[in-house]
Amino acid sequence: MGLFDNKQIEPNVITTSVEWLFNWARKSSPWPMTFGLACCAIEMMAAGASRFDLDRLGAGVFRPSPRQSDVMIVAGTVTEKMAPRIKTLYEQMPDPKWVIAMGACAISGGPFYYDAYHVVKGVDLLVPVDVYVPGCPPTPEALIFGILTLQEQIMRGERAKPGGRPTLPEPLAVA
Amino acid sequence: MGGYFSDLFGGSVSILRSMKVTLRYLFTRAITVQYPDEQRPQPLRALNRHVLRIDETTGQLKCTACEACARICPTRCIELTGTGKGKNRHPSAFSIDHNLCMYCNLCVEVCPFDAITMWTRIGELSAPERSGLVFDIKALTAERFYPSPMTPEKPPAPAPEPEPEKVEAVAAAPSA
Repeated sequence: MGLFDNKQIEPNVITTSVEWLFNWARKSSPWPMTFGLACCAIEMMAAGASRFDLDRLGAGVFRPSPRQSDVMIVAGTVTEKMAPRIKTLYEQMPDPKWVIAMGACAISGGPFYYDAYHVVKGVDLLVPVDVYVPGCPPTPEALIFGILTLQEQIMRGERAKPGGRPTLPEPLAVA
Repeated sequence: MGGYFSDLFGGSVSILRSMKVTLRYLFTRAITVQYPDEQRPQPLRALNRHVLRIDETTGQLKCTACEACARICPTRCIELTGTGKGKNRHPSAFSIDHNLCMYCNLCVEVCPFDAITMWTRIGELSAPERSGLVFDIKALTAERFYPSPMTPEKPPAPAPEPEPEKVEAVAAAPSA
């Protein structure tokens, strides 16, 4: 809703109530985009299957098109060749959009982080990331916990800052 | 003509046969784990977030800051500094960067003092910031018993010995 994202409109009682309703609707149906890049996609499929059943949270409708999806679950190693495609697909998604970085490779390059020439060292160098789910690969429970965290963020109306990672954590900043 | 009717019959029978499978699964127990409310039972050796174990007799960390785990880590996600000498050597700072950890269990296998374990079943980690996934020594220290490759089960607590002085004092109290 571009009208209500515009900061020039003064927030008042009516628009805050409508914001709450929109956030509730967005929270209840975050349709993810099918974005399996490596072995984390297997756990993403397991989370969508009947044992863990992401449909209980409204997030089980995996769409093959970026035009119909709200959440991009980047599951797997982001190679340099895939990086422009990720950026293009992120820009093709309609505006209330969120990104979950799933697994160590998507968060920071994982086991490839210091000596591989072909891996992007974290998808947050390309697109703003809302929730980081660590693991190698994360269990389906961990992914569902990440989606629950994202739903709380959506209800609070928070967005990731564009422009990649804001601050490096302490051990990385030293090294 | 006969083949036509036999095909019709065969098709109907195959539909009924497949519906029998559906009907059987209708009356079995649902396999969905209602995750935020109930947990899937995990095996003992499931690898999850690290925990630094404490020696239950002294209350100190078992870690002696030998840096074997930091050296063997394939992603170099462990950083620690130690203070003290000999048996009093303990880590003063210990951080594990779970942005990089690949849960390979090598740090647990190499530890000579069985001071770190991953058999913790703490699997729910996610953060809106990368810095929220770097756990320091305060977050890593165990607050209860966790199983480890050397001690998979909690040792039985020693039975409290009766104290003879106290019994005498109670016996002497009514007379005095």
